[in-house]
Amino acid sequence: MTLLPWKRAERQPEASPSTFEDLALPLLPALYNVAGWLTRNSGDAEDLVQEAVLKALKGFAGFEQGTNFKAWIFRILRNTYLTSRSGLAARRTVALEDELDERGEVLYLEGAIDRQTPELNLLRLADQEAVMQAMEKLPPPLLEVVLLCDVEEMKYKEIASVLEVPIGTVMSRIARARAQLRRSLEEGQRQSKGRNA
Amino acid sequence: MNGHLSAVTLNALIDGQLAAEELRVAKEHLDRCPSCTSDALEYALLKNTVARNGQRHTMPAGFEAKIRSQISAHQAAAASSDKSAGPRTGTQRNMALAGWAAAAALLLSVGGAVVVEQRARLADATAMQTASLAAEVVDQHVATLANSQPQVVSSDRHTVKPWFQGKIPFSFNLPEPLPQDTKLDGANLAYLYGHPAAQLLYSIGRHRVSVFLTERTNSTQTMKTQERAGYHLVSFSTADLDAVAISDVDPARLAELVRSIEQAQNGSH
Repeated sequence: MTLLPWKRAERQPEASPSTFEDLALPLLPALYNVAGWLTRNSGDAEDLVQEAVLKALKGFAGFEQGTNFKAWIFRILRNTYLTSRSGLAARRTVALEDELDERGEVLYLEGAIDRQTPELNLLRLADQEAVMQAMEKLPPPLLEVVLLCDVEEMKYKEIASVLEVPIGTVMSRIARARAQLRRSLEEGQRQSKGRNA
Repeated sequence: MNGHLSAVTLNALIDGQLAAEELRVAKEHLDRCPSCTSDALEYALLKNTVARNGQRHTMPAGFEAKIRSQISAHQAAAASSDKSAGPRTGTQRNMALAGWAAAAALLLSVGGAVVVEQRARLADATAMQTASLAAEVVDQHVATLANSQPQVVSSDRHTVKPWFQGKIPFSFNLPEPLPQDTKLDGANLAYLYGHPAAQLLYSIGRHRVSVFLTERTNSTQTMKTQERAGYHLVSFSTADLDAVAISDVDPARLAELVRSIEQAQNGSH
């Protein structure tokens, strides 16, 4: 039985959710969070997100519908950050080697970390404050890759698109970022042991 | 690597990024290697902890509303420049049914509200355009600071000005006597809002200054003086040019340079 088919047709959504607001506004908290981590300052984070959103809005006509909007707008946020004063300062102070050896493994990484028992690791990782401090010590290029991967749950391919680097570079940066986090946590643990002894 | 899984493989494993065959091989290895299993467990815990602690910065109250209004202001400005808006026939039909008197009253009140709303939106759009232009100016100035050499390196205004001939659709004058401790370093061909601009580079002491000159437009992007990201921006307009200067130097000294450039425009072309 067909009842009022015209009415049902009228209720169909007009189009897929592709207006700028539909796509951008749900991402604001995530953009603000990453901006906050990168700038370390709420005022700068607000400015950064505003500028990125305005740039994205102006360039939205050039955005290819159906492609990854999240990666696209995060790339704009990041490029806006990189041309900001703090972004330039961060780039000047950090040297990154993204080289992998011929087998696709990060150079110099193996052996940098002592293999420990899971029990010790569990104890160490339970200290969230220590993890926070370790994250704050990460240089911006390593911090952003960890944020995009772990917090934003982006795939390596998406992260590569945001950072405009090859996937291999993403992989090596993630490995290096986590190795540095582990190192910072271990140092923190050693220092607190020293104080308690 | 002593037969252990590499750091890259371990990370890709816990990020769910291994291809099926790589995953099978890695799992087989984990079944017989307590050391790598311990590492994988630790990485997984680390990932979870980072994910939890990484959500640290929450938007201030009203921030989303602010962005929302900026977006709608931008869209209103874009719509008003696009003069193809069609009539709202459904509303008109309803008003006709309600009678001429009611319709007229409704039109008056709706018209008034629309005018007020359009003015507010126009003000919003202008404020946003100004903010957006300022952001572009800051970006370009900062990018210039990061680059070592201007496109034309000269302290001679008779070299810098002719360099722009054929590159920009307007002309300008450069002041000869400059304020004390100020010198011309060179210039770049730049773009502001998609329009060609002459970016003049000055130094006041050790502070760098960029002065962007563009062809005068009808849009009123009057910035006057403002501060943004630690930089001072000063703007002025002549009959033919819009100009904006940016630097982290003392605002009074920046204003002095800007005044001399403005005065030079009133001289001979």
